Amino acid sequence: METLTNLVIHGLLYGGMCAILAVGFALIFGVAKIVNMAHTAFYMVASFIIFIGVSRVGLPVWLASLVSILLTCLLSVICYKLFFERVKHHETAVMIISVALAMLFQEIFLLIFGGHYHGIPALVKGFMDLGVVRISYKNLFALGFSLITLLGLWLLLSKTRLGIAIRSVAQDREVANLVGININHIYMITMGISAGLAAVAGAIVAPIFMVHPLMWMQPLVMVLAAVVLGGLGSIKGAVIAALILGFAESLVIFLIPDGSFLRGAVSLAVMVVVLVIRPEGLYGVVFEEERL
Amino acid sequence: MYLEVRNLTVLYDRAMVLNNVSLNVEKGEAVGLVGPNGAGKSTMMRAITGLVQWEKDSLKGTTKGKITIEGSVVFNGEELINVPAPRIAQRGLILCPERGRPFREMTVKENLEAGAYLVKDKRVIKDSLDKVYYLFPRLKERIDQVSGTLSGGERTMLSIGRALMSQAKLLLIDEPSTGLAPLVKQDLFTRIKDVHGLGITILLVEQDISFAFDLAPRNYVLSQGKMITQGSPEELLADESIRRTYPGL
Repeated sequence: METLTNLVIHGLLYGGMCAILAVGFALIFGVAKIVNMAHTAFYMVASFIIFIGVSRVGLPVWLASLVSILLTCLLSVICYKLFFERVKHHETAVMIISVALAMLFQEIFLLIFGGHYHGIPALVKGFMDLGVVRISYKNLFALGFSLITLLGLWLLLSKTRLGIAIRSVAQDREVANLVGININHIYMITMGISAGLAAVAGAIVAPIFMVHPLMWMQPLVMVLAAVVLGGLGSIKGAVIAALILGFAESLVIFLIPDGSFLRGAVSLAVMVVVLVIRPEGLYGVVFEEERL
Repeated sequence: MYLEVRNLTVLYDRAMVLNNVSLNVEKGEAVGLVGPNGAGKSTMMRAITGLVQWEKDSLKGTTKGKITIEGSVVFNGEELINVPAPRIAQRGLILCPERGRPFREMTVKENLEAGAYLVKDKRVIKDSLDKVYYLFPRLKERIDQVSGTLSGGERTMLSIGRALMSQAKLLLIDEPSTGLAPLVKQDLFTRIKDVHGLGITILLVEQDISFAFDLAPRNYVLSQGKMITQGSPEELLADESIRRTYPGL
């Protein structure tokens, strides 16, 4: 019973965090065809900004988180303007630039803070006693915040004028021109939203896990696996796939004694299996459309 | 002159798709542009609405070849050849692409909302929406249907509806009859006449000349990238050159 409850909580928590990361990755890929390998690096940067805000500047955690989300959005838009925009039609160049950016961020933080693990105090303290298990409030808070973020994104994409424009560009760039949408503008905004989501994931995770310059690598594998499993570019697919992977990893950690070293292999294994059996993923290839 | 295209030349690499073509449309007119497959009709529409320019920009930095575009497109007294496509749409010069091309994962309603992207006034949006539903009651029935699952005729209707939502002043319709059953075609052309009846200027591109001649009192004939002739349907049908362009007429 205790294992089961722990499993569900850990799975939801980890899956939810990965869902936010994967959604951001799927969003910018679907809209601008940017395979942003620096996506989880933004998440690392956001966590570090919170750490700096709390430990060096002395801000309260909530304020540091807010500042970090805003700064990360800004940073991503600057990166887009400086690097991605020039080569946006050249998909391979875009991907290489994003890898370089991720490395750059990693090295900067390694230089300044070294390869140490840094902790951040939780926003909410204490825990709930359910008799069999204790659930800490920080985990519950993280879970709730993940759900609210996903819900907010869904509302943004389905109900607002901006959301409709973003989806139009994702589905047919050429026709988006014809209804008067400035595509480059939408790319930039989407980049900001995508990095903002990564920063939210960072803000959720920073108090639970540790902050470290290499913390972007493992989630990147998970995010790539989730996007492949969900279907490239599909946002709904990314959310569901991330939750599946979150639970799969939790299962491995809890059910195999001393098996936590295997968790990294789970998403990779899923990615390979999906690519072999069903390359379009859960929600890929929706309609067969005649193009020009 | 409402729309005046002068000496438009488009090259894809070294292949000349449009060779020095000119065309003009008066306000309130319905003009046809006919010609066989591969004549360059769609390229001409894309060049007028800025898509060729956009495609040219999107090839920058890649190894996929080069597009050259020369000439002048004047709409409402304003030169548009170097204006980006979204700005051209903003001026009311709207293209319904071939096969409609609705945003296929979005519902009919969302497609129409996307059409109204540049319209700020809620009342104008509401009025346009009523107009679209009045012209195309079928779209109202399918309001929440995902547009990728619509039939060919419905997609074209949706595309025209989307253009009306964008407050089209001059509507370019590219081959609305492609792939449609005769009865559906007939119905669609009645609707296009209704749209013209609303006071919207129309430039209709067609392969099926019977429909174009039915709608437009003045027609251009394009073949192999060149404007061969123009005139009323009667003149054109009597003309030898169009018989040569369309064997079997």
